Amino acid sequence: MAIGLSIGFSALIALITGLTFDAMSDGLRAEFDPILTTLGGWIFGMVLVITLAVTSVTSEYSSRLVRTTFILNPNRNRVFAAKAIVIALLGVAISAIVIPGMFLISQPIYHFYGLQTASVTDHDAARYLIIAPLLEGLNHALIPFAFAWLLRSTASAITASIGFSVLPWMITPMVPLWVQENVLRYLPDNAKDCLLGQLGPGAPTYLGDTAAIVVMAVWIVGALTAAVFVLNRRDV
Amino acid sequence: MITATGWTKRYGGTVAVDDLTFQVKPGIITGFLGPNGAGKTTTMRLILGLDKATEGTVTVNEHAYRDKRAPMQEIGALIDPAAVHGGRSAYHHLLWQAQAGGLPRHRVDEVLELAGLADVAGKKVGGFSLGMQQRLGIASALLGDPPVLLFDEPVNGLDPEGIQWVRALVRRFASEGRTVLLSSHLMTEMEQTADHVLVIGRGRLVADLPMEEMTRQSAQSHVKVVSPRADELVSHLEARGALVSNGTPNELTVTGLDTSVIGAIAFAHGIPLNELSTHRASLEAAFMELTRDSVEYRAQRDLAA
Ligand SMILES: Nc1ncnc2c1ncn2[C@@H]1O[C@H](COP(=O)(O)OP(=O)(O)O)[C@@H](O)[C@H]1O
Ligand SMILES: [Mg+2]
Repeated sequence: MAIGLSIGFSALIALITGLTFDAMSDGLRAEFDPILTTLGGWIFGMVLVITLAVTSVTSEYSSRLVRTTFILNPNRNRVFAAKAIVIALLGVAISAIVIPGMFLISQPIYHFYGLQTASVTDHDAARYLIIAPLLEGLNHALIPFAFAWLLRSTASAITASIGFSVLPWMITPMVPLWVQENVLRYLPDNAKDCLLGQLGPGAPTYLGDTAAIVVMAVWIVGALTAAVFVLNRRDV
Repeated sequence: MITATGWTKRYGGTVAVDDLTFQVKPGIITGFLGPNGAGKTTTMRLILGLDKATEGTVTVNEHAYRDKRAPMQEIGALIDPAAVHGGRSAYHHLLWQAQAGGLPRHRVDEVLELAGLADVAGKKVGGFSLGMQQRLGIASALLGDPPVLLFDEPVNGLDPEGIQWVRALVRRFASEGRTVLLSSHLMTEMEQTADHVLVIGRGRLVADLPMEEMTRQSAQSHVKVVSPRADELVSHLEARGALVSNGTPNELTVTGLDTSVIGAIAFAHGIPLNELSTHRASLEAAFMELTRDSVEYRAQRDLAA
């Protein structure tokens, strides 16, 4: 469902872009990119990945089956690792369906309205279609997964995860420059946007490739480490 | 064999379990008794490594539960039978656990049979009654055919037939040399089941003794006699050394003679009897007394502190 919504929404964005392109300001027109603009519907895919990652943990807390799980497997690190691997793979798999789907459905629509198009055989497009599912998948699966172990409640973990992904991006234009440069810049979603090329070197929160990879890795590994540390110390 | 040493668990300010030291031995049924809130479930959770003890250690067959590689084959636990995935069938609920524990699929069919759930194996567990949930929980505990069984309030919600079944089951397991720990808040449930009792009150161990001693320690049991000629019977019973007190006009409470002797005396004198029964409420009373003492003891300690 969410997969269909994501792809459909991207198609809709492509349609609207095509219909209104002539009426757009030059600035908006300059933002059009036949690859990156297709990511517009990803919000649904993202919410799907976050929800699956969170409920894979919190549903066990609400049914109290988590006790059974740890009675059967008293080694909590192993349970955590096994689940993390499954969730990471699932996140990447969903992204690997949705993101190319959104890309493919948008191209004929751009073509129809005479806009610039991209083909999977283009170097940039091919790079994007490999990197984007990996980054979006891992980021939106593993950080919410860690939040879920820490918060143990579906509602709070989903809210925290979506807020963490979306809020910084929403408030960016409203906060002082130094906050952008010194805080928002080092959040995982910003690093991911830099790696995907959605932010250029001119942006105040821009990070180079290496720095962006380090920032994302530190966040993901850090969140997982915090979660497993707390899991080993708390009562079930 | 389960060994707890100097075991304490605090939740914030509440002391749930206070300095417990005990052993649960194989080959017998150990009853773990205490009123609600005494710390029985907490103790079970601590044994299973779900909660962390604030102080002290516990081992099951010499190792901490958390260090076990194949825990299902070592310990079977019934602790929260309502914790199920309501949409799953009984079969799949058990299969999930068998797979998690690396056990063969045929164990699922075997424990379903053993628990009397074979006919409802395909039904969703969300629709199970309390008694069926309890049977399913026991089936889960038996999956790994473990030498140690921990059952928290196993007869809760069971009908009399179910209670008989649990009793027969644990008796058989104990006779096979397994270690069996059963908790209950009702003395009467344990009276006919346990060989040994651990009594806990407000988190403290207040008794650790064989069942016979518990019975002996408790006030003597009495016999209730109802007869239309009760007055006449009193002198005959007292002549044989009984202690008789008169309740209502036709009813006697007799201590010091058992039912067979009282029946013979009445018969010899041609006195008809309407009722002749042994009353063991005294054991329950002994249990109440034990746990009440622990409460008083705690109150004194708190005052001293
Ligand atoms: N997770 C918890 N948090 C706080 N207090 C708890 C928790 N679990 C148990 N307790 C408290 O510990 C005491 C013992 O509870 P419990 O072990 O469930 O008793 P029992 O099983 O003997 O009825 C009670 O006072 C209970 O309120
Ligand atoms: Mg309890």
